[in-house]
Amino acid sequence: MGLRGLLFFNAIFALLPITVFAGAVVEGRVELPKSHFAPVMAKRYEIVTTGGVLSPQPPVAVVYLDGSFAKPPSPATKQIAQKDLTFLPSLLPVQVGTRVEFPNLDDTYHSIFSYSPAKRFDVGRYRPEERPIPSEVFDTPGLVTLRCDIHEHMRGLILVLNTPYFVVTNPDGRFRLSGLPSGRYALKAWINSKTTREQPVELEADTVLHVDFP
Amino acid sequence: MMLVVLALTALGLYFTQRKVAATAERDLQENFQAKLVSLHKIQELRHTALTERCGELVSKPRIHAALEDNALDLLYPSAKDELRDLMEEPEPSQAEAADSLHARFYRFLDATGAILSPPNPQDVGELGAEVKAQLALKKLPEMQQIGYLSETADASDEAVDEVMVVPIFSTETGDVISALVVGFKPFEVISKSAGPGLKSGIWMNGRLHLPSVPKSAQSAIGDQIANAVSKSDSVQNNINVTINGTPQLLFYKLLNPESIFPPAYEICLYPLTESVAQQRRLRWQIGGAGALLLLGGFVVSHLVAARLSVPVEKLALDSEKDRLQRRRAEAALASTSEELERSARYSADASHQLKSPVSVLRAGLDSLLGREDFKPEVYHELSALLHQTYRLTGVIDDLLLLSRVDAGHLQIEAEPVNLGELIEEWLDDLSALPESPEMKIEKELPAEIYVAGEKRYTSLIVQNLLENARKYNRPGGCIRVAARRDIAEVVLTVGNTGRPIAQTAQQHIFERFHRGAPVSDISGHGLGLNLARELARLHGGDLRLLRSDNDWTEFEVRFRVARPSLRRAAEVA
Repeated sequence: MGLRGLLFFNAIFALLPITVFAGAVVEGRVELPKSHFAPVMAKRYEIVTTGGVLSPQPPVAVVYLDGSFAKPPSPATKQIAQKDLTFLPSLLPVQVGTRVEFPNLDDTYHSIFSYSPAKRFDVGRYRPEERPIPSEVFDTPGLVTLRCDIHEHMRGLILVLNTPYFVVTNPDGRFRLSGLPSGRYALKAWINSKTTREQPVELEADTVLHVDFP
Repeated sequence: MMLVVLALTALGLYFTQRKVAATAERDLQENFQAKLVSLHKIQELRHTALTERCGELVSKPRIHAALEDNALDLLYPSAKDELRDLMEEPEPSQAEAADSLHARFYRFLDATGAILSPPNPQDVGELGAEVKAQLALKKLPEMQQIGYLSETADASDEAVDEVMVVPIFSTETGDVISALVVGFKPFEVISKSAGPGLKSGIWMNGRLHLPSVPKSAQSAIGDQIANAVSKSDSVQNNINVTINGTPQLLFYKLLNPESIFPPAYEICLYPLTESVAQQRRLRWQIGGAGALLLLGGFVVSHLVAARLSVPVEKLALDSEKDRLQRRRAEAALASTSEELERSARYSADASHQLKSPVSVLRAGLDSLLGREDFKPEVYHELSALLHQTYRLTGVIDDLLLLSRVDAGHLQIEAEPVNLGELIEEWLDDLSALPESPEMKIEKELPAEIYVAGEKRYTSLIVQNLLENARKYNRPGGCIRVAARRDIAEVVLTVGNTGRPIAQTAQQHIFERFHRGAPVSDISGHGLGLNLARELARLHGGDLRLLRSDNDWTEFEVRFRVARPSLRRAAEVA
């Protein structure tokens, strides 16, 4: 199964809760920062740093329902590939306990590591055809900055969340989270490494709640 | 009389000795400069290598990750891997230390300029409190810095470290967030590659670090350097110092201009002992030679005096014998002078015998050309023949001159000749020639340049070279004439564009009747270069081909410089 197949599989998997439990739905829009600033790094890199802030480019946000939820019984596996000397996707939200694989789709060596407090690891140098694909389990919530020891400009972000309920907005900032449990929660929107917005929500089964992050 | 001789000899000796001393001094200076240059070359290479290496280190992703991703505990462990090659190679021996880039220690500074403490100081090179104090900076520099830190290793010994401080810019904010400091043994203190004799060290904070010089002397020289540095604004200079009674030449140079660290100077010492010994030796030799000369003078004058006191009768007797001898000698002289005269006449005769028929021929051709009843092609033929007669005269002149040179009959009466003027005249003539192709003339002639020679022959040499430069040139080409004065010689170079002389032909161009280019439309008879060289050699100089390739042919002729007294005489005249 190629990357595309795997992603498709993940998408199907994410949709499952809707069909099984008809939970609450939150939808709305996150006001995203304008993207007209000049990136510090070369344009091809999709995580840019400006004034010490790491943010995805073009801007997108991760909207998630904060709270303590049970870990899934078997950890999910996701992928961040290295292609054309960039991380793809450059921003990946995952639930605590998720294993992330780093397939190398370039025809050169990569050496992915992170010194972030949420996850320190170093998979070492590896070639495209190396098997098994280097992977890491992320079991502490927080933001993990991915770097490559060989290509100093490569940056990727993994946002490790306590919750299984999260979604990446589209470039307009629109999002829809469904299959959510009922109750009072904080709905959060991660915009960049320094900015996370928050709105209290009260969810009821089979109800669509509209929440905007201005 | 004896007093005069004595005084003259002493004066001669004094001037000879002074000249020798001056030459020795100049040789020494040159030698010292050459050693300095080679030392600085190595220094520069090493510095470039270090700068490059350190610049590479501070862009390493792991070092950035440790600093930017809040992982300072991983900073030194990460750096350990990256700096392995600098730190972990075995400590080089003294002899090769200068060529290696072995680092003695390294540290990172935090954003405030304070040293970030390493977890295991023995891995990163231990530092004394003194060095740490000098390293902690008030503010991180934005540019790479070179500094020198002094350290008291023990009570009697002091060491100097050279540090390179490289700022680390955040890839996120672009601000300076840290700095890497790498410490080395300074090249100046460990270097042995500049060769024997030359000692190098460092002077900073008023103290000299020059391990090979005794402590007592170090402080004395230190004071002299302090004095020289405070007096002069220049960043480098030469001064003379004396160490334990030995004169030395001292060179100093600021090592870290515009650094945030205190200024440190490179110090190079070169002993003059050898030169002093050599001068002493020469003085003895010259003195000895003078004494011998004087002694000889005494003996000779005594003998002459003894001769003078022989009775007058003996003188009368001898005079009869002498008269006979004189007569014989006079006869011999007369016959020799006749022979000389005959030989001179031979040249004149030969010249006459050869030239007269040519003149007759030319006159005849001239008058034929004056007639108006020939067909046009006849006139063409006639003028070609006329041209040949001129060529023939040229060959005859050259041959006669050469035959005189060969027979050793040509005597040069050296007088100062204004070479610049001569060249200008010939260049004027050259440009006035009708068939002269369009070409550029570049001149590089000093205002006044006199050579010793006879004007007509010197002129002949110059003419030959300039005419060749014109003849063998290409249209739109260039002639470059340059003269410069060496110590006792004037070097004139004449270069021209145009097809170069074939490699195989180059060694034959000075042979008689050899011509550089097999081009039939260029006039000439292949005697010019040979004659010019013979004449140049007669003048005590020489003529040679410098190069002939890539559209450029260049000859060099050397003349003796006219002696000043002669030049003055010429100016007065």
